Amino acid sequence: MDRRGFLGVAGAFGAAGLMSACAGPGSTSSGAGGFTTDDVATGEVSFAHWRGEDRKIFKELIADFTKVESEISVAQDISPSDDYEAQALRRMRNGSVGDVAPAFRGAQFESFVESGFFVDLEPTDLTSRYKAELITAGSADGVQYGYPYQIVFNDPIANLDILEKAGYPEPAGDWDSYLDMLDKIQSQGVTPIAMPGADAGNAGQLINPMIMNLGPTEDMCAKIESGEYKLTDDWFLEMLRKYGELGDYVQPNASGTAAEPAQQMFATGEAAILATGSYHMASVRSLGAEFPIDIAPPITSDPGQAVYLAAYNATFILGINSASEVQGAGIAWLEYLSRPEVAGAYADGTAQFSPVKGVEYENPDLDRVSSWLEKDILLAPRYQFTDLDMRAAVEDSCLQALTGTEPEKAAEDAQHIVDQRIDS
Amino acid sequence: MKDRRRRSSRRTPWAYFVFPLPAFVLYVVFFVIPTLQTVQYSITNWDGYSANYDLVGLDNFARAVTGDALFTNAFVNNMKFMMVVVVGQTVLALILSVLLVRNTKTTIFLRALYFFPTILSSVSVGFIWKFVYDPNFGVINGLLGRLGLSEAQSSFLGNDDQAIYWLSITQIWFHAGMMVVIFVAGLQAIPAELYESAEVDGASRWQQFWSITWPLIAPAMSIVVAYTTIQSFKAFDLVLSISGNPPSSSLDILSTRIYSSFANSEMGYAATESVLFIAAIVAITFALRRFLRLVQRGES
Repeated sequence: MDRRGFLGVAGAFGAAGLMSACAGPGSTSSGAGGFTTDDVATGEVSFAHWRGEDRKIFKELIADFTKVESEISVAQDISPSDDYEAQALRRMRNGSVGDVAPAFRGAQFESFVESGFFVDLEPTDLTSRYKAELITAGSADGVQYGYPYQIVFNDPIANLDILEKAGYPEPAGDWDSYLDMLDKIQSQGVTPIAMPGADAGNAGQLINPMIMNLGPTEDMCAKIESGEYKLTDDWFLEMLRKYGELGDYVQPNASGTAAEPAQQMFATGEAAILATGSYHMASVRSLGAEFPIDIAPPITSDPGQAVYLAAYNATFILGINSASEVQGAGIAWLEYLSRPEVAGAYADGTAQFSPVKGVEYENPDLDRVSSWLEKDILLAPRYQFTDLDMRAAVEDSCLQALTGTEPEKAAEDAQHIVDQRIDS
Repeated sequence: MKDRRRRSSRRTPWAYFVFPLPAFVLYVVFFVIPTLQTVQYSITNWDGYSANYDLVGLDNFARAVTGDALFTNAFVNNMKFMMVVVVGQTVLALILSVLLVRNTKTTIFLRALYFFPTILSSVSVGFIWKFVYDPNFGVINGLLGRLGLSEAQSSFLGNDDQAIYWLSITQIWFHAGMMVVIFVAGLQAIPAELYESAEVDGASRWQQFWSITWPLIAPAMSIVVAYTTIQSFKAFDLVLSISGNPPSSSLDILSTRIYSSFANSEMGYAATESVLFIAAIVAITFALRRFLRLVQRGES
């Protein structure tokens, strides 16, 4: 072959590449239909998830499970959470991985349901093992597609020793009392609130308790996203004004503080409250915190007027891949995870809460804070946003208000982005 | 007869074509096809997972250019970032390389020291600088506090007006050492005789630099400017590690914006942003190289 001939072959190869490039997304096959309880419980289950920190506890649970179910093996397929959020459906829709897989609550869960990725779990009879009010995040149109397997409180956590010295053995239950509590903490020379303003993911959690009693309806964030509510509405501006009031009680330069230094401030007693969530209890313990911890949601209402006392979230929702060829084995694994003793072991191993009925916590922090699960709590409104850019804009308006921007200006800037996203 | 023999001797053996084949296949599969697909998706509203999509013509391009404040913000941030990094990194690297061009033990050690950050991963650099800039426990505010300059303390990355410039400083620290190596190689290729004759003619150090070093360093300068420009558009992992995901709007650059659109299930629009991203890199690199050529010819 001469050079010209080679170029000809290369050109043909390139043309083939061009044609295959233009084949488009429609060429990939979709999920393979429904699930039946008759599916045989054997085979190798690919358990895809993003929780690298849970690898050890899942490994232990898998070892116990496979002792009982010798015909089944379970292999963890762990991706970084960002990759999972962006690519999970593309990776798993053909069933080669992710026979059992979690979805983030909100946008990802909805896209999983919309694309037919998750099967209807009603035939499994597992739903009755979960507390009904804590698994609503796993249902759509009345169908239970997945089970939230880990519950967190998206509310600030507090050092109860410092609160007690300030005259509040329990966190304040209305707005004026909350500000009074922060004042008294500040007068002790302690920073009332450690705010990780440079970490949008963590700083954004505060909007959950701040908005839960101010929003006109429970689905306030979904309605902001749809354009029904505006950020320039009075109720939202009132929330931003309250953010501004909290600005007097956060550490200096809060907008530049990352999550780790904020945790350090809390763990060492330099700050009384960490404005993130219960998911940081274990990490502040590992940083040396020895004081009693509870959640301290800022209640924005007048005394006795609060409808909700805290916000919680389902960290992930476990479901079965409709394209899986080992659905029976996948269901067996899900059934095992739904046993109270197994869910309890997972909860203690990860220092997070469980929605499974009958779980008893050995971890004293979980045991103390779990009483909040029985109170009037709202599924974290923040995750009603399916558009991540809108969520970021709304949360940024809160941070702007906290750090001194006029509420009206912060709201208008964010609404401009929301409007553009709605129009696009 | 002679011609036939010559043609036959010029014929390339088959086996030769096997050698570039693996590289060619990899290039087509991992570069050509994805690039063509990106262009294809850029005129669709594909969400990234559905089997179907609609063709939307140039709507995505119109939206990015005229109706998306987030894309505009990322573009402006990227321009600021690029300008500071290109100028700062090039000037710093040129100064250091002029000072370190001779091969002595000290200069070789210093070159290695300045090169050291380059071998770190972007994520490590991001985490290191996240703590350098931390307003509460960070080195800079700590030092300012000890010097009694508490008023000069800043929230750095939390200051929306300054954040992108602090990020630029991190990028310069990260890559300047690499540019020093390129410049030193370019400087060492300049014949010593030119400087000797300039000295004989009584030229000052500045005249030597301006009349000999500056024009003859042009090839190295072109490489540095092109490399730095492209690097400043690709600072994706550095931004995410220093600012988290999603990054704050003051640190959002084009590559992170594309990723956000991708994560937002807007595959078609993310592809459009990618096409504009590539076009911006090509146009800016071309313009900078042309500008440099004019400067080095003394036409500007």
